[in-house]
Amino acid sequence: MNRKGMLAEKILRRILWFLISMLILSVAVFYFARLAPGDPLQSYYGDAVESMNSTELDAARARLGLDGPIALQYVKWIANAAQGDFGLSLKYKMPALDVITPLIGNTLILGGVAYVLVFALAIILALFCAMHEDTWIDRIICKVGTAAYYIPSFWLGVVLVLVFSVNLGWLPSSGAYDIGKSNDLLNRIQHMILPLTVMILSHLWYYAYMIRNKLLDEIRKEYVLLAKSKGCTKSEIVLKHCFRNVAPTIVSIMAISIPHVLSGTFIAEAVFNYPGIGALSVTSAKYHDYNLLMLIVMITGVMVVSSSIIAQFVNEAIDPRMKLTEVSAWKETSQTSSL
Amino acid sequence: MERNFADQFVVVGSDYKTYETEEKKISFLERLKGKPILSIIILSIIVLGCVFAEQVYNHDPTSFYLQNLNEPPGSEFYFGTDSLGRDIYSMIWYGGRVSILIGLLGMAIITVIGVVYGCISGTANGKTDAIMMRIPELINSIPTLLLILLLTSVMGSQNILKISFVIGVTGWCGLARIVRSEVRQIRSSEYVLAAKSMGGGFFHIMRKHLIPNFVSTIMFVVVSSIGLSMSMESTLSFLGLGLPVDVVSWGSMLSLANKALLSNTWWVIIFPGVFLITTLVCITNIAYYFRKETNKRESYL
Repeated sequence: MNRKGMLAEKILRRILWFLISMLILSVAVFYFARLAPGDPLQSYYGDAVESMNSTELDAARARLGLDGPIALQYVKWIANAAQGDFGLSLKYKMPALDVITPLIGNTLILGGVAYVLVFALAIILALFCAMHEDTWIDRIICKVGTAAYYIPSFWLGVVLVLVFSVNLGWLPSSGAYDIGKSNDLLNRIQHMILPLTVMILSHLWYYAYMIRNKLLDEIRKEYVLLAKSKGCTKSEIVLKHCFRNVAPTIVSIMAISIPHVLSGTFIAEAVFNYPGIGALSVTSAKYHDYNLLMLIVMITGVMVVSSSIIAQFVNEAIDPRMKLTEVSAWKETSQTSSL
Repeated sequence: MERNFADQFVVVGSDYKTYETEEKKISFLERLKGKPILSIIILSIIVLGCVFAEQVYNHDPTSFYLQNLNEPPGSEFYFGTDSLGRDIYSMIWYGGRVSILIGLLGMAIITVIGVVYGCISGTANGKTDAIMMRIPELINSIPTLLLILLLTSVMGSQNILKISFVIGVTGWCGLARIVRSEVRQIRSSEYVLAAKSMGGGFFHIMRKHLIPNFVSTIMFVVVSSIGLSMSMESTLSFLGLGLPVDVVSWGSMLSLANKALLSNTWWVIIFPGVFLITTLVCITNIAYYFRKETNKRESYL
């Protein structure tokens, strides 16, 4: 088969699998939500529920799509969702999509900048550590990095706020911008420094260590000896030969890491009251706002799957060995050998 | 004649025993080399302090000293009091029990689900295995925090068991994957086949043949999952979705951190956090000891 056809097939299969998994997930969430102890009517109407008579209650249920058996409710929900109507947010009393749309941008900016910075720094740190393997500086970085990774990121955030906002007063402690300064770029950057620091400190070492270990494996291969006998310097070997060989692995790690980094973004948002979907998901979990939570889950799923498709493309571009035909050939042989 | 033989011939290895006794005299300190002693000592101090909290604390951790709200650290309240007037020093020892219990429960749930699921998937035929491995993939494609938020909001009010369950149910995927790949390597070996043909059930084979083979590989993940469960509990409590404030744990103590920021009472934030992190770092150090050293070849650089 020609390569383009296979690529299209592969992407189609991915999207199909994604749709199926979202469907399974939405069914699970929907049933769970309806089994939950909290009454959605209560959280939407508040105490007014108690003074309603039965006809009013029925009308209210119908308005929120809570009438009929659960299966029927689900079918209704999914039919509406296909048309872009994800139901009402129970807390904000407006369509769930409208609540989320203005916040996605903030999350993407914070998460995206953190993601790029984390990996840029991780690669630099890993290269540095691999070149100075087992020297005192490598060991110190390893110890400090491991300790930093195990500090809960919310605590790190709180301590940073305590030091830099409360006591020193250098940086703002919450929000994405001061009131009336939404177009002030400098103000926005100021608000992002602390959340970014938290995210970088709590993610950096995890990935730097992975990349470092990959590089150390690579340094032990024989072509390094050849390059050395040819007269290449240490940095030349690592940067030109080893790093190129490790690059596809790094891209794969980057693709897998997206849910992890997003998780970190959510925590950072919640700590710093940054208006994004992470902070929103925490509040909606507190208020049992399932429609909103479900939409957030779906949106995150879309982000993760689309980025892993992008990673596949990038990998093929930088490494000819990852071309689809050969990957599938390898897969076939490995399947037979494992049986 | 016989005596002459003994004189004439040198018996090879006759002094073997003396060498052996000398070699056996490895000093106690040398045997400890390479083991995470410092971490074990600190961790046991913390754990013992929590277990014997009644003897260690000097105030009642559950009572409110309303005259001493937000008292800074001093001779009466060693670590100060929080905004509800509770003694932080006493609460740390008392609350450590809950935190460590959640860590252990979370680890137990993660280990049981991960090992059983991984073994079933590893021994199953190709198609079942492929489908079974899709489920962790599906769970992993959603950020863990979001899944936990979903589950906690569905579960309603929290207690220790519920929160460990939520943490365990969302955390087993990585372990299951490792177990599965280990099982696939040994599942067609002779002893497993022999046990099967003699009528050994799945759980028998799993206990006697599979688990002993991969237990050293998964030790790292299992031990570090204690730390991950503890830190997840504190994160949830901080976000207001974990334990309520009246159930004392290191996490629920930190849920007062936002209030403490407003009143600038640093001791409310720092002390529980330092205890939590010290425990986490010790557990991780011990976990790293279990990780198999990768075969180190000489670097060509």
